[in-house]
Amino acid sequence: MATMTAPTNAGPATTRREGAERKAPTVSPRVDIYETEKAYVLLADMPGIGPDGLDVVAERDELIVRGRVEPPATTPDYQEFELANYYRAFALTEDLDTSAITATLKDGVLKLEIPKSPRVQPKKIQVRVE
Amino acid sequence: MNTQPNWNSWQEMRRLQQTMEHLFSDFAPAGRWSLTGEYPPVNLTREDKAITLEALCPGVDRGSLDISVIGDAVTIRGERKAEPEVPEERYYRRERPLGGFTRTVSVGERLDPDQTQARYANGILRVQLARAPEAAPKKIAIQS
Repeated sequence: MATMTAPTNAGPATTRREGAERKAPTVSPRVDIYETEKAYVLLADMPGIGPDGLDVVAERDELIVRGRVEPPATTPDYQEFELANYYRAFALTEDLDTSAITATLKDGVLKLEIPKSPRVQPKKIQVRVE
Repeated sequence: MNTQPNWNSWQEMRRLQQTMEHLFSDFAPAGRWSLTGEYPPVNLTREDKAITLEALCPGVDRGSLDISVIGDAVTIRGERKAEPEVPEERYYRRERPLGGFTRTVSVGERLDPDQTQARYANGILRVQLARAPEAAPKKIAIQS
């Protein structure tokens, strides 16, 4: 599943002086995707995002993950990272049950579990001995 | 007016580096620590009462986080582990770097190790550092 659409760009560079006032850039979060027997699991790194700033929408054949950061009140004296908003869209295939997606956010990592539709889940067939 | 040209070009380099990392992460062997340069990235804010060091390190195993202060240097150690019991072949995509890290940052002022406080929230480690008493500015009374 899950092909990635084009990530949004990170915005133009600006001087440090504008720091506090300007809008946070938007970046595409890094993700891991793996499959279990009953579901697909998506892990996305979204440091700086709290539960209030997180938005996960599954609509028809698309899953959209969005994160919004609170801009920091002060600009650091020495800066290697900048908090960013996050955006990434994934294509959903028909074999997924989007009505039962569960989302958890822990230490800046979003975990989505997307169950497979019951009809594609492996079913054990009982063999009758005659 | 751009008063800090170095800052701008430095930030551009960083952005380029991140783009390259992102491009190549698809080809990196699964599960390998693929970040180049120093990890985690840090921000430093100096205030009258304290110095705050922030490190961007999502998903670190809390038990592995270790912070030590010696002289004017802070060392952060931690590890990010893979999901337990998920075999390699189950992965469709692996972009998130894993593994252990150690980073030492010198803040240029003597610190008081006993007054260090740390908090890990939303994937950001915030370390509140206190200056050593002898490093704090002291008002000298002038004798008449």
